[in-house]
Amino acid sequence: MNYYDHFVIPFVVGTAFMFAVIVWKWGRWLWKLPVADKKAIVRGVFSLDTLRAIREVVYESLLHRKIFRVNPVLGYMHMSLAFGWFLLIAVGWIEASVVLGTGTPLHAHVFFRYFDTAQHTGWNPFAFIMDLLLLMVLSGVALAWFKRMRSRALGMKRTTKHVFIDRVALTALWLIFPLRLVSESFAAAIKHNGGFLTGGLGSLIAATMDSAVIETLNSLAWWLYSFALASFFVAMPFSRYMHIFTEVPLIFLRRYRLHSTAREKSFDNFQIQACSRCGICIDPCQLQNVLNINNVQSVYFLRDRRYGKLDEKVADNCLMCGLCESRCPVGIELNTLRLNSRQKSIDTPALTRYDYLQGIDRSSGNGKVGYFAGCMTLLTPTVLRSMERIFEAAGEGVWWADRDGGSCCGRPLKLSGEVNAAERIMARNKELFAKHGITTLVTSCPICLKVFREDYNLEGIEVIHHTEYILRLVHAGRLSVEATGQEFTYHDPCELGRGSGIYEEPRELIRMAGRLVEPEHNRREALCCGSSLANLVIDDSQQSKIGSAVTSELEATGAATIVTACPLCKKALARDASVRVADISQVVAENLRVAS
Amino acid sequence: MPQFGFSISQPRAVNLDTNDFVPAEKLLRELPELQSCIACGSCTATCTAGNLTSFNFRKVHTLVRRGEYREAYEQMDKCMLCGKCRLVCPRGINTRAVVMKIKRELGDYQR
Ligand code: SF4
Ligand code: SF4
Ligand code: SF4
Ligand code: SF4
Repeated sequence: MNYYDHFVIPFVVGTAFMFAVIVWKWGRWLWKLPVADKKAIVRGVFSLDTLRAIREVVYESLLHRKIFRVNPVLGYMHMSLAFGWFLLIAVGWIEASVVLGTGTPLHAHVFFRYFDTAQHTGWNPFAFIMDLLLLMVLSGVALAWFKRMRSRALGMKRTTKHVFIDRVALTALWLIFPLRLVSESFAAAIKHNGGFLTGGLGSLIAATMDSAVIETLNSLAWWLYSFALASFFVAMPFSRYMHIFTEVPLIFLRRYRLHSTAREKSFDNFQIQACSRCGICIDPCQLQNVLNINNVQSVYFLRDRRYGKLDEKVADNCLMCGLCESRCPVGIELNTLRLNSRQKSIDTPALTRYDYLQGIDRSSGNGKVGYFAGCMTLLTPTVLRSMERIFEAAGEGVWWADRDGGSCCGRPLKLSGEVNAAERIMARNKELFAKHGITTLVTSCPICLKVFREDYNLEGIEVIHHTEYILRLVHAGRLSVEATGQEFTYHDPCELGRGSGIYEEPRELIRMAGRLVEPEHNRREALCCGSSLANLVIDDSQQSKIGSAVTSELEATGAATIVTACPLCKKALARDASVRVADISQVVAENLRVAS
Repeated sequence: MPQFGFSISQPRAVNLDTNDFVPAEKLLRELPELQSCIACGSCTATCTAGNLTSFNFRKVHTLVRRGEYREAYEQMDKCMLCGKCRLVCPRGINTRAVVMKIKRELGDYQR
């Protein structure tokens, strides 16, 4: 039997269209991947990574475990839609295969209750399960409705503003399940094949309408249901719902160690189209909640980039603080994507740029340990003086890379998108480090730290932040810190915390000097000081507004001193602080226990 | 014409009437705070690039505002975007944005 009725046409056409578009998109992206990435995929496919990826797909794409962690109600909403629908398809498939036999066409599975041939007497376990699942999905739809109306109820202050194609897809999606309920109820009124929900409604329909009317409405309902499915499938690859399928290859590719880089590549597409526009990244953004800027957050940035409408002002207006990246349930590399879109729009070949650095060497001193202050530390001499005292107290011979002026590390250029130019500066600095034969490079600036670690490939030189270095000195017994009984609070710099994963070292040092009181937002959740070099748009008053909001949160701890570990954060916080703001090196240098 | 013994060195003559102000005006429209510059020179004094070469940020942005773009693009290319100037500017001018804008606007004026 071929189980055919005209109403299946929209569904069949829509489904075929959707899969054709998806295969075409993915195929093109994969084809355009750089050779190294393709090799990584080939290596990865036959490794344990594939199994890990499958596990992750179940946890994240179906169960949405990460969203559950952020917010259980929101998690249930996503899970009931994704996992519920998946189970409806899976269980429906099994039921149709049992009743209609294997090898029946796809639409007969999807519209099974219409084509059902079994004689139903008594309780049908399949119908019961299917109704339960439908109820679960409907509850998700109801929650989604509710979220649109009142996002706060689901713990989100703001929900995403959607584009037209998203609205089409969304409307279709919302209609699919209520229409399914209606269609299956009518089928049940005729065939008595429903469960507690559709069967109950079916009996009600059978009892109140006469059979000719039921026949007509039945056919109408199935037509509408098929149309709703078709509209969703046609709109889907062009709307945010592309994420449903794209998240799956993304998880695999990520397990095969593919990453976005400072220059665009086709892998970026998998990340961009895996964004569900859930809007979780909106609320934490300080540009949103302090400055009321509401068109630059990652969700809008990815959307604009996907539809080719990215404006420089949107790409440039981001602190790259990483707060949204740490929250994103899909794990999209938001900072890197932001960076490479800047690279694309402003990078110039830079053939002779910074040639003036050739031969410039203002370094001094001798030692295996090199100290790179960085531009920002040179602007905060107290940090430099403190480091001098610490090195001296520990008896360390130091090579001072830039105490008397020197080059920038290159990260500010990179953050602004001038990656080619940044590489030229980096090459010069590398030559300098190699020339002086250091084995350890200490820096006080987390911005420099990050670029030394990630972009310099300094073979044979260990790069560490001064917090790590000082703590090592203490552990090695070369330095000791006097306890003062003072109260300190600590501000995690973005580039040091989320950026480089250094959270505990500064805290351990502070606890040696006194008591540490944590501010409301700390570690992975820490706020940005507002002066980030990555933002090229906001003006001075806006920077200081963000800064003072952070400062007041730190002051609310009641601590006598605000400690941080970045010269730029220090400057930003000190602007509006009514208590002392000090770098961790100052705290240590001031409380050195004199060797007896 | 009587000669008074004064002359103007041709290369230093500035004729504001013949300058093309379109890029300069665009710069000031997008970064109006630049008009509040008091030419204090703090930016130049602290400049990382200026410390190593003869690059002078105050001079470059002042010339650009006057519509004199000669060499401005090449000069701006010396900047490392380190951001020190922004931190010391008493008028809180977004100097890094000024650098970027000048580079973007004057791309056509190269050579
Ligand atoms: S970027 Fe991540 S958090 Fe933001 S909307 Fe997309 S999926 Fe959600
Ligand atoms: S990185 Fe920070 S500033 Fe940029 S969008 Fe995310 S939260 Fe906002
Ligand atoms: S520091 Fe600011 S006010 Fe002073 S010259 Fe530079 S831009 Fe102008
Ligand atoms: S950003 Fe450019 S102009 Fe400003 S101090 Fe740094 S190198 Fe000099």
